[in-house]
Amino acid sequence: MGNTAGKAYGLTLLCPIKADVGGYSYGDIIRDRLEGLMLNHNSPMAKVPNTYLCRLYVLDDVFYEGYPAKEEHLKSRYLVFCTNFYGSLETYLQEMWNKIEKDVRFLWEHCIAFDRVQNAKEFVAYIKKCQVKNTLFFNGSTDEPLAEQLKSLYLKQEFSRFVFNNHGKTAGELQRAFREFVAITQPDNLAGPSWTPGMIEESPHHNYENHLQTAR
Amino acid sequence: MSNIAGKSYAMNVITPIKWYMAWLNRLIFWAAQLPLFKSKLTGLITLSLIHYARWAIVRPAAFPRLDPSQPRETIKYHYMFFFSNFNGSWAQYVDSFHMAIPSGLNLFWERNVKYPGSVPLQPFHSYITYNQIWTNHYYNAYPLAASNDVKAAKTLKAALLDFIAKTQNATPEDFKKQYEALLNNTQSCISLMEPTPIVSLSAQAVQDRLSAAGRKGQLGEAA
Repeated sequence: MGNTAGKAYGLTLLCPIKADVGGYSYGDIIRDRLEGLMLNHNSPMAKVPNTYLCRLYVLDDVFYEGYPAKEEHLKSRYLVFCTNFYGSLETYLQEMWNKIEKDVRFLWEHCIAFDRVQNAKEFVAYIKKCQVKNTLFFNGSTDEPLAEQLKSLYLKQEFSRFVFNNHGKTAGELQRAFREFVAITQPDNLAGPSWTPGMIEESPHHNYENHLQTAR
Repeated sequence: MSNIAGKSYAMNVITPIKWYMAWLNRLIFWAAQLPLFKSKLTGLITLSLIHYARWAIVRPAAFPRLDPSQPRETIKYHYMFFFSNFNGSWAQYVDSFHMAIPSGLNLFWERNVKYPGSVPLQPFHSYITYNQIWTNHYYNAYPLAASNDVKAAKTLKAALLDFIAKTQNATPEDFKKQYEALLNNTQSCISLMEPTPIVSLSAQAVQDRLSAAGRKGQLGEAA
């Protein structure tokens, strides 16, 4: 129950980072690499199928809450990976390895025991050792495959345009316009026009009106 | 470093909790998921600005230790990790919880070390700020959409497919009648999504960096 909400999965990882050596901080190197990653549709995570939202950060230590709390410190730093995705854990991780192995190696290179990971199966096993169980996972959104979510968002956007632009038309004009809209947007075809993972703005080809001329 | 990806904000909060209180908290979280107590989560659902959120209470021995050379953790407290993906600014989110579901917040955090309570606001703000960790990389599959957009899109798509099936052989007049009924039923789902407004200095900094990178790329292409 803690890791899933419907078909959505919430994976939480604490991956221990190698101890600092002679002033050489692996935690700082990982943080630097994370902050240098491209963002949005250029993020490596945009290539991992069915990722809804995810984050990574380096946990250096825990916080001291002040007297009378006890002051204590972690012995290791951790790379924290928190991802929300559709489907099963094994499938997701295998896809992650298959799609962005190079990026995974780049980010996890300085984590303890990651040097033993050589393939997708070993990556899945490694990740499971780093997984901590959620006490509660709350899904305030939907739990559909990402392609379904993106297609729905595309349709919402384009149908809203259609409604605004066809206000006041006669019944015949409206029906003809709607048939053109359906032909262009292909509502029941996930492989047809849609949004792409991580896109931060629409390009002209998303706007169905730009395809009207071709459709006619 | 950015806690923002499009319309989403990534919040990470880590707070200590005594071991015996941690077990009580686990019991409360477990009970909150049972149908009988599901109403305790109603507040979260009502605050429809959340995509996904989670709590993980980690006991000292559960911090992963993957090699004998890795020192064993000697901490005594258990630690509650909270992760949230929400729409809007930090202040909007924290204040929404404080205003809408103060008792729900207290239910989940009350047993944490030196938790000040969700009311009054200022100590609560300070507590969250002090225990928050910044995200180093944040990815969002739909930066243009809020959580409400995702949910509305699902509703609208289902209604649209149903409408298409029902009106395939309709006369123009009947088509228009059913079209107007469709709009009436789905009006709350119809709106245009736009890129997020800049809500913080860090978001502005990211935007500036991207714009600068874009200009550099264009210059490179021109050359």
